[in-house]
Amino acid sequence: MTTTLNELRTDALREIGNIGLGGAVTALSDLTGVLFTLDTPRIHPMNAQSLPELCCANPETLVVGTVSRVNGDWPGEGAFLFPWESAQVLWHILVQMQPTGLDDLNELYQSVINEVSNIMLGNYLQAISQMTGFTLHMEPPAFAADMAMAVLSSILVEALYGQRELLAIETAFKTPEHEFKGHFLYLPETGNLEKLFAILGI
Amino acid sequence: MGKAEVKLAGMGEIVFARGAGVLGCIGLGSCVGTLLFDPRTQSAALAHVMLPELHEGDAGALPGKYATTALPALLQKLDTPPAFASRLKAILVGGGELFQNRSQTLRIGERNVETIQRLLRELRIGVVFEHTRGNFGRSFEFDVASGLIRVRAMGSTSAEKDLSAALGIVRRAA
Repeated sequence: MTTTLNELRTDALREIGNIGLGGAVTALSDLTGVLFTLDTPRIHPMNAQSLPELCCANPETLVVGTVSRVNGDWPGEGAFLFPWESAQVLWHILVQMQPTGLDDLNELYQSVINEVSNIMLGNYLQAISQMTGFTLHMEPPAFAADMAMAVLSSILVEALYGQRELLAIETAFKTPEHEFKGHFLYLPETGNLEKLFAILGI
Repeated sequence: MGKAEVKLAGMGEIVFARGAGVLGCIGLGSCVGTLLFDPRTQSAALAHVMLPELHEGDAGALPGKYATTALPALLQKLDTPPAFASRLKAILVGGGELFQNRSQTLRIGERNVETIQRLLRELRIGVVFEHTRGNFGRSFEFDVASGLIRVRAMGSTSAEKDLSAALGIVRRAA
């Protein structure tokens, strides 16, 4: 079944994204002591033909990413992508060290990115849960560092599995204090969208 | 690979070249670039396969999206009936699992590779080059005229191999 996404529903999803990610970005600011700001979330259907040029103009750019399975009333996959230089900023702020390259990317560095993802996605889901009464559980993030396109397509293909279409709630967060850009992606199972709209009464 | 035209297969797409040209895929994660070469016509067709089996209700999908629909579509592109498929040669690149330690995993990369290998065995198509599995992403380009394949991987070994003999490529004077 194709979920009808009229303007009202798109607006509602964008607003949910905004509220959820507002909390997530505040949590990141609290953690780092750096003020982060949020772009307006974009809501778009995604299929094999329309993989957006998310994150990086060059599909072979090195990025660091996480993906967490979300279970409960609004299941899906929550993912974060950081271009390598932006991940370096996070490592520098949070542990005052940086890996020199992929060979040097040890468990400490991975756990820093996992923890950032954990806190941000946790806050995002909490905000949605408060608004909708949904019960949502996230699994611990899985980590990858590789070509942007390879990381992104692996996330999309896994989310697409068993579904005909895919919807993405996507946004970027930045800080004026550093050369930094992070990307957030929520890929809900589209079959469950109706449940969300029913609760919101639209 | 200089002046040859490069045709890249995006997710679910199929590209084709005869006699000359370069076919490739960029940023394969769990997806598998599946290339079939026909020595008789010196033609190659490449599918960027995303998932192992056709999902019910996705009949309108690009044929290259699923392994089970991609192989028949590649044979059709090469104008080869399944009964004559054994003259074709296969190249497989991709099928990695980039995300390690997932508590729940669908193992899509591994299942893509397994499914494609099984379908190739059924068609009696030999694999002349394989750069699959592992926990990293890859890009590759294959030059149809020279039989040269180049695989780029991040944080792992890149590879370059001349497959002209294995593919029965006829060298022509420049």
